[in-house]
Amino acid sequence: MERAESEGGEGGERRRQRIYNNNSSTAGVILRNPNNPEPIWPTIDGSLGLSEDDSLSYARNFFKFGFLLLPWLWAVNCFFFWPVLRHYSSFPRIRKYVLGSAIGFVAFTVLLSSWALTFSIGGERLFGPIFDTLVMYNVADRFGLTGWS
Amino acid sequence: MSQDQKPTSILDSLGEEIIRIITPVSICMFIVVLLVTILNSSSSDSSSNLTSIATIAYNENTSDSFWDKFEGALLNSLVFVAVITVVTFILVFLFYIRCTKFLKYYMGLSSFIVLGFMGGELAVILIRDFSIPIDGISFLVILYNFTVVGVLAIFMSEMAILIKQGYLVIIGVLVAFWFTLLPEWTTWAVLVALALYDLAAVLLPGGPLRLLVELAMSRDEEIPALVYEARPVTYNDSGPVQRVVERRSWRGRHDVGSNTAESSNANTNSSLESEPSLDSTLGVLLSSESCQSVTRLVMAEEGRSSEGPSELLAPLVEHQLERSNVQSNGPEELVQSERWPIDGIGLGSSGAIKLGLGDFIFYSVLVGRAAMYDLMTVYACYLAIIAGLGITLMLLAIYQKALPALPVSILLGVLFYFMTRLSLEAFVVQCSVNLLMF
Repeated sequence: MERAESEGGEGGERRRQRIYNNNSSTAGVILRNPNNPEPIWPTIDGSLGLSEDDSLSYARNFFKFGFLLLPWLWAVNCFFFWPVLRHYSSFPRIRKYVLGSAIGFVAFTVLLSSWALTFSIGGERLFGPIFDTLVMYNVADRFGLTGWS
Repeated sequence: MSQDQKPTSILDSLGEEIIRIITPVSICMFIVVLLVTILNSSSSDSSSNLTSIATIAYNENTSDSFWDKFEGALLNSLVFVAVITVVTFILVFLFYIRCTKFLKYYMGLSSFIVLGFMGGELAVILIRDFSIPIDGISFLVILYNFTVVGVLAIFMSEMAILIKQGYLVIIGVLVAFWFTLLPEWTTWAVLVALALYDLAAVLLPGGPLRLLVELAMSRDEEIPALVYEARPVTYNDSGPVQRVVERRSWRGRHDVGSNTAESSNANTNSSLESEPSLDSTLGVLLSSESCQSVTRLVMAEEGRSSEGPSELLAPLVEHQLERSNVQSNGPEELVQSERWPIDGIGLGSSGAIKLGLGDFIFYSVLVGRAAMYDLMTVYACYLAIIAGLGITLMLLAIYQKALPALPVSILLGVLFYFMTRLSLEAFVVQCSVNLLMF
């Protein structure tokens, strides 16, 4: 068997090579064509992360939970399964959830940032007295949020 | 067997591991110093009305005399350490009667409170000081997102490593910042008292942390605690099977050193010892030949490792118990056991270095408090803490058993702070003023 010393990390290229040489495989690993560089591990942590079967349930759960007004969870989902997005043709089952998360995150961010920017740039001119009721530092003062309870 | 990579030096293995633990500690300290300098300069001394378990005995007043403050600080620190001891014993008891689910949920709740409430308050203070025109609704949505994802990241055993590490550092920053709001004399007294407590709790035979450690080792379970685990440095990139194998092997070797030798480990121990393991005492390095012999160990432990709360849960409690948690995850026990969830420096299941969140917190408290005086003390204390961390890692390599990690760094840090403040500062200032140096 071949032994190599290298830093572990994301990306499965070198690891893939070793696998072919070692004739070893586990249930979660899908051997790909050696001539076509594709990742084996769907998560960004590479071999430290999840196998493909486990990651399907994680991707699905993250996607569903993100609908509870959690775009950041969608972003974390995309980050976690970055190899799925990058190598678009692999991991067909996981792909739809990660893609959905990416689209949801972008859409939500556009909405939220457009509202927040309108509010902060428009300010008092645009909103009138409502600005003072909504702006955070007044809300904090009104409810006494900085009392370090 | 052919080697096709360049030969690794001690820098690649040991150095990389140490860097991977020093970086987050430094980031945590840096952020706390930044927050302290920003918020201190913009507000007057508003910390005097902070009541918590640490100021229950004596509330410091700047107009008190030297001895009053000294006694008050000592009293406060004694009360604090006493509360921590009691809570740690409760934790040991709960762990003993196998209430790990309760502990796990309690930790999730604590992280929620720290991230949501303390994070929220800090954000509101920053917004107010800088007059950032963000509206209440967006702020709420962002805070909600941040908190929920943080709790998930810490709760779940499988999450992107970077996200988990990031949230642990953030929790460390928030708790440390809160601790810097304590009165000055009390803070220093508490730090020294905790360093001594840590020493006692881990090394004395009756110490709660030692009991916890031995319980976890004998039962082969993970202690629920908040622990930062550095990304493991891999040397043998020989594939997934080997990777899993490496994960278990360290523990087998470990149990040789410990006094709980279970029969399942005994076999693997003997097989492991014959392996040509690579140099680093802190890493898990096995050549690929060893994988076969270790696979038995892998099978045996597959089940156990997946169950149980992940290492990341510690009773991160609110005010009163704040310290306790930190205690349980803090008192860095440098243990080279694999399942070292609880602390300080130990080795994770994949051979990576683990450092308890309490370490992060108290190092940052020390540096934050130094920042309240001047940046010169910050530099001195930072160097002292990093040196202490290095010494602790070395001791871990030498003694190969549970060792506390707080004492060396904290005592060095406190020493450097007082020496800098009392003598170095005068020297440097005079030199600068007379245009001699600096």
